[in-house]
Amino acid sequence: MALLTSGRLSMNNWIYSFILLAAPVIAGASGGPESADSTSTEVSQGRQIYEQYCAACHGWQGEGAANWKNPDEKGEMPPPPHDESGHTWRHSDAMLFKMITKGWRHPFNKTEQLTMPAFEESLTDQEIGAVIEYLKTLWTDEQREYQATESQ
Amino acid sequence: MKAIVHSTIRAAWGVCVLTAAILTPALVQAQSANDAQPVKALTISSSGALLMLQGSDLFAMEGGTSTKIALPATDQSAQPTTLARGADGSVYLAGPGLGVWRYDGAGESWQSLNNTLPDLGVTAMAAHATQPGTLYAYLGKDGMFRSRNGGAEWVKVDSGPQEPVQTFLHSDMPGSMESGWLFAGTTRGVARSMDCFCFWGDAGDLRGMVSAIDYDPAAPENVYAVIEGQLHHSADGGEVWTGLKVPQPVTALAFSPSQGLVVGTANGNLLARGAADEWAPVHE
Repeated sequence: MALLTSGRLSMNNWIYSFILLAAPVIAGASGGPESADSTSTEVSQGRQIYEQYCAACHGWQGEGAANWKNPDEKGEMPPPPHDESGHTWRHSDAMLFKMITKGWRHPFNKTEQLTMPAFEESLTDQEIGAVIEYLKTLWTDEQREYQATESQ
Repeated sequence: MKAIVHSTIRAAWGVCVLTAAILTPALVQAQSANDAQPVKALTISSSGALLMLQGSDLFAMEGGTSTKIALPATDQSAQPTTLARGADGSVYLAGPGLGVWRYDGAGESWQSLNNTLPDLGVTAMAAHATQPGTLYAYLGKDGMFRSRNGGAEWVKVDSGPQEPVQTFLHSDMPGSMESGWLFAGTTRGVARSMDCFCFWGDAGDLRGMVSAIDYDPAAPENVYAVIEGQLHHSADGGEVWTGLKVPQPVTALAFSPSQGLVVGTANGNLLARGAADEWAPVHE
């Protein structure tokens, strides 16, 4: 519900969310409800996991840290947005999965810390997949199309 | 009488052939002797030959000889400005009004890669360091285009850095989220992005219009950039830059497998850096 009440969502996101919510009804009419139901459930699960594990750094609406393109006072790159203003949509599903699973260190960080922590000990593969599906709801249609091509 | 005429013609023809045989190497060599013109671009062919773009001429320099390579037949307004080497050794030529072309060394011909580019206004191009089919082209206000199939299809991927790109480089320096890094020499300095085009940021605080950029494939953290003829070096992927002294203003850069860093100069010379950091003329 928070997804639908967010003031940051673009029209594309609204439309996409509407489609996600309406999909079971439409699918029911066309005789294929299971796939749509499972997608909706996966996105809902992904959002819950995102809010529990990711939102503290990347923002409740995926807005990222302020000034995320510049290193902070420790010389570390702040968490980027996951919404349409960021670059998450530029990565394939496989790359996003790898990033969440293994973490990643920006090579120009001034510390040896991982820029993005690894979640392979905390989340199952299915849960990580659900988070990725949720992130896709934060992008524009064009970005989803680009990312789908990158994932092929 | 007929026999005398015939033998005279044969003798004259023999002299002509002999004269041509003597003069031809000198003529070929002379084609590269246009020292007055600055070297616009350099790259290395699949055989290791240095390719030099000077004025509107392209020369292959190998084994002490220089051979002129005919450029593609294009509109007179076309300006060849950029050379790039693909991961498979393919040589690419690009420039405003020219678009992007690939050289077929075996057939000594050029193939246009411009079918799906919006126009021919390519001001900079780069080839992926490790993926043979991946190319990048910058078309000014139209932005950055990428091809993943050797130029058959170009797709716009980004608008590029804030300032116009003058020269462009893909590097396989480690640490990228994807398969490497892009360095763009702009009118303001060097901009850097992972090759996902995630975002363009300043590579250090080197300021000025960058006219050439390259990196050491054997030690990818080493990046070189030219601003107003001055060569600069970064040993940490573009974070910190230091100036390098070269006897002449530098206009072009390439990494030769046999000679390391080679610079082309405003005087039309090619210089390579020796072990003691001295610069000496290249004798390919």
